[in-house]
Amino acid sequence: MALKSAAIPAPQRVDNPVARLLPIATTVLATIISIQPAHIPGYAALTPAFTLMAVYHWTIYRPDLLPPFALFLVGITQDLLTGVPPGVTALVLLLARGVVLRHRRHFVNRPFPFVWAGFTMLTGGAMMFLWTLHCLLDAVLVDLRGTVFRAVLTISMFPIASFLLGRSQRTVMGAG
Amino acid sequence: MIGLSPPRRAAMQRVAPPFLILLSATMVILGKADQVVFESLRVSVADTASPALDVFSRPLAALGHLTDRARDFVAVYQDNQRLAEENERLLNWQQAALKLASENARLRELLKLTPEPATTFLTARVIANSGGAYVRSLMVHAGSENGVERGQAAVTGEGLVGRVSEVGSRAARVLLVTDLNSRVPVIVEGPQQRALLTGDNSERPCLRYLDASAAIKVGDRVVTSGQGGVFPPGLPVGVVASLDGETPRVEPYVDLSQVEYIRIVDYGLADGLPKPVPIAPRSGRRAEPLPGAQLGRR
Repeated sequence: MALKSAAIPAPQRVDNPVARLLPIATTVLATIISIQPAHIPGYAALTPAFTLMAVYHWTIYRPDLLPPFALFLVGITQDLLTGVPPGVTALVLLLARGVVLRHRRHFVNRPFPFVWAGFTMLTGGAMMFLWTLHCLLDAVLVDLRGTVFRAVLTISMFPIASFLLGRSQRTVMGAG
Repeated sequence: MIGLSPPRRAAMQRVAPPFLILLSATMVILGKADQVVFESLRVSVADTASPALDVFSRPLAALGHLTDRARDFVAVYQDNQRLAEENERLLNWQQAALKLASENARLRELLKLTPEPATTFLTARVIANSGGAYVRSLMVHAGSENGVERGQAAVTGEGLVGRVSEVGSRAARVLLVTDLNSRVPVIVEGPQQRALLTGDNSERPCLRYLDASAAIKVGDRVVTSGQGGVFPPGLPVGVVASLDGETPRVEPYVDLSQVEYIRIVDYGLADGLPKPVPIAPRSGRRAEPLPGAQLGRR
């Protein structure tokens, strides 16, 4: 296991333009899903951070196909559409990408629990960062409970997202 | 990036992430200091995205309807019984209302009361909500092309939802009464006590600036007072739900997470909402009229 993680296999070359667009397309889709009115009581405040799941997955498996500029645009668009101060989501996504990229070798080709544990840490950090940022921006102490529930919901939804993203990756890009 | 030589491209790839992170952080700070900077961008992005969001939100709504229908089918017997009882009760109320309406008309005639300005409304579909714990707003698929204006009230059959805070040509944003930046002048019926309904991003907004001696009870109705000129008086908002500590909380009549269609109502009062001030020390509290400052207006 230790030997396996020491060397990250170079990402397979993908020439099919549809396959090359898959990471960006799924990240945009995650953004669209996260701003859907779901008609479930209390859901709006606790909407899982679907975009973060997509960013985590693709930064681990295909960082070359999810460039930071695309993340920036996705983040800014999400902010503008949801009424959040512009730049907040972009900042979180870009920082998440940076952190994951740095520790990528711990997750590539590892069993799912490792990947999930990594996502748990990432989500915890991202949610605390968001909470702190909003406390500073609004100059009030925002109730922490909403943030904690949202983090828990995001972490518990990750296996489904991971499965779907992995499935689409295998289908469109082939094994890799 | 396609035309760049490999070393150049590598340099770009090294520089881009920190640069974009810095850019995002700058945008956050800039947006905080001056809220108007991004307003036009926000509005045009909403306009551009609204047809797509409208399309995407339909399957989910249809799914919701399907589960609702299944539930309705199971509950049809109880519903029928309940509705029959309710109908009987409402028929009594109808009699009372008719009597009061005719009495009201007679009294108005006696007093030569000027009629209130005519209200017009349009119904719009909710196409996006703000996912996340920090903003409470909805985006609706109607804009200035349909006659939506800043400051108009957003209601459903049950009561007040919020007010229109941004308008594009095809889409508009509604700031909910539960948002941190929402302030609605209200009256607590019963003690007839004026207060300011302030959102704090929780499900139940607080009542502030109440008279300390006010005898408010759980279950008291809360309606808009019409002060400040943004909302007409008497729109139902909710009921007092808890009195813990200093700040009573109000349970809105409208289940804000279940709203699918909203009525945007023009009471002819939309001028009451001032434009956001370009640079203000506390522009985070967006140009909300203070209750005291607006008293002289009406």
